[in-house]
Amino acid sequence: MFTPDLDRRIKQGILSVAGTVLTAALVTYFGMHNRVTDVGYRPQQPVPFSHKLHVGELGIKCVYCHAGVERSPHSPVPTVSTCMGCHIVVKAESPRLALVREAYETGRPLEWRRVHKLPDYVHFNHARHIRAGIDCASCHGPVERMGVVSQVAPLSMGWCLDCHRNPEKHIIPAREISGIFTGLPAQAGEGTTVRIAESRPVTNPPYGLWQTSVPQQLIPGVPTPKAPGRGPETCSACHY
Amino acid sequence: MAARFPNLRWWHIPAGLLGTAFVIFWILVLSGQKTWFSEQPPLQIIPDMDDQFRVDPQEASRFFSDRRSFRTPPEGTVPRSGRAYPFGPGDLALAEKAFPQPPFPESPYVLAFGQNRYDAFCSPCHGPDGKGNGPVVQRGFVPPPDLTRPEARAYSDARIFHVISAGQNVMPSYATKLTEAERWAIVFYVRQLQRQSALQQQAASLSTVPARQ
Ligand code: HEC
Ligand code: HEC
Ligand code: HEC
Ligand code: HEC
Ligand code: HEC
Ligand code: HEC
Repeated sequence: MFTPDLDRRIKQGILSVAGTVLTAALVTYFGMHNRVTDVGYRPQQPVPFSHKLHVGELGIKCVYCHAGVERSPHSPVPTVSTCMGCHIVVKAESPRLALVREAYETGRPLEWRRVHKLPDYVHFNHARHIRAGIDCASCHGPVERMGVVSQVAPLSMGWCLDCHRNPEKHIIPAREISGIFTGLPAQAGEGTTVRIAESRPVTNPPYGLWQTSVPQQLIPGVPTPKAPGRGPETCSACHY
Repeated sequence: MAARFPNLRWWHIPAGLLGTAFVIFWILVLSGQKTWFSEQPPLQIIPDMDDQFRVDPQEASRFFSDRRSFRTPPEGTVPRSGRAYPFGPGDLALAEKAFPQPPFPESPYVLAFGQNRYDAFCSPCHGPDGKGNGPVVQRGFVPPPDLTRPEARAYSDARIFHVISAGQNVMPSYATKLTEAERWAIVFYVRQLQRQSALQQQAASLSTVPARQ
């Protein structure tokens, strides 16, 4: 029908358009996942604060600065008065800490850049996970080796559910450096375990509705940690 | 070679290798095997309700001009739970009157909790055994006094509780970070450290006594 030259050009054209569309589709399909867009976000902070120095070398536990992570949904980033508790003496003149001193004196908060951020329609609760003895490293990676904090986990819905379905595979148990209370003295021998929570489905067959029993509070204010049961899979547990 | 591929030029080979490496790199990035560190905020392709007009904890306020979302409560506000520590660093006598004894008894469970809290909040300066040689002191902090020396053993429980809650000279106050129960658990654990060190000293002084012939 066409001349051989035109025929070849039409074939080439169709091939290159199809190739471009396919590549674009693959890139958008895979590139839009959180594991590509969000993982590796490592903003430069206003003060060159290093977890590697403070946690890795000095051995300060996570809860010293992120105090309240065991009690509240939100894990607080420390106030400047926490920093000044030590830096009023240590490196008191360091130019790298100028912003911290300024914030401490004027009372205007220091604006750290936020790294981990779930969409506002998801509710995540730190306290519940920490109480079950899940270490920070399960979700935040080896922070004690990071000079600048970066996001390690995708924080996507699939990631939450993967762990809620198979907690044994994804949980790193509480480590010494995190300072999480597991109900045992530090030098307890092997074989001593925290009370394991019973975990049973509310419905039969289980449609992701799980119930874990919570140990009784014996002394008001002193927490009673538990072994992790299963996380929920019902929509209303996270979206409300 | 040249006969079978008459169009092959020498530079086709490195170009082909480079192209393959490029494609493999992108496949690794897109499948999440390779992390690409970036300072740019994450790409939000469809930012539907990701960022709603509300204040999250510790978020900068878009409403107040000083950008503080955590406002100072007005004078006379009563907290819904817990209470602020009412005394300053100098009010030791008042504190001893207000807290004559711990609100709950000592038990192995409370001691384990106190140990956990002490290791996290006190050992950076006071050291794991209370002798005042923590890692921060080795980097230039003022060395704190030994918590297990005889004078400190004679302190009342309320005095240790008061120092934790109100601070003392360069030692910061921990009233905002530790709940009251946590602070009392630490007091019990400090007592335990003092008992242990007293026992050790006794054992040491016994071993210096010459053995009976
Ligand atoms: C000396 C105080 C201190 C200690 C100890 C500490 N942190 Fe932090 N952390 C900070 C400060 C300050 C920031 C905010 C600046 C930044 O992101 O680097 C922060 C930020 C973070 C963030 C990122 C928060 C965000 O914006 O999403 C994570 C996650 C984190 N810390 C986890 C940990 C873990 C896990 C540990 C224990 C291994 C730990 N931190 C110990 C002070 C501390
Ligand atoms: C428990 C004590 C402690 C706390 C709390 C603490 N630091 Fe430090 N910080 C240190 C010590 C010790 C050093 C190391 C000094 C040295 O290198 O000898 C240090 C070093 C630093 C340095 C490097 C200073 C320089 O000139 O090299 C920065 C920056 C810093 N800290 C920021 C912070 C910030 C921001 C916070 C609050 C989130 C904080 N620190 C909280 C103990 C502390
Ligand atoms: C089960 C997973 C998980 C564990 C375990 C966990 N985190 Fe998080 N963390 C998250 C998620 C998800 C966010 C983002 C929360 C949001 O945006 O609302 C976050 C946010 C943070 C933030 C930023 C402030 C905030 O709350 O938004 C800090 C700081 C932090 N985590 C510290 C810690 C520390 C310290 C520990 C250990 C004691 C810890 N996290 C354990 C999942 C976890
Ligand atoms: C490392 C594993 C792990 C990850 C990751 C994880 N969870 Fe969980 N989650 C658990 C476990 C285990 C429990 C059950 C805790 C228990 O037994 O008390 C749980 C419980 C919960 C609960 C139940 C709280 C309640 O009151 O019933 C919610 C809500 C929740 N998770 C939300 C999330 C969200 C949102 C994410 C993702 C951002 C997430 N989790 C990521 C392990 C995980
Ligand atoms: C364990 C907690 C959890 C449970 C249970 C859960 N979700 Fe989600 N969901 C999330 C998280 C986290 C995100 C945010 C993912 C992201 O950042 O892309 C999300 C996002 C979504 C989105 C928005 C997706 C987008 O990119 O716009 C929808 C829709 C949604 N969830 C529906 C559901 C439905 C329907 C159910 C019940 C079958 C459910 N979710 C159960 C945690 C959960
Ligand atoms: C930042 C370092 C630091 C931390 C952390 C710290 N202290 Fe101190 N502490 C000091 C210093 C320095 C002194 C000496 C104060 C002075 O000069 O009067 C002191 C004094 C004390 C005293 C009084 C000792 C005496 O004989 O007068 C007690 C009791 C005490 N600390 C208990 C604690 C407990 C309990 C904790 C944990 C909640 C703690 N400290 C955490 C630095 C620290």
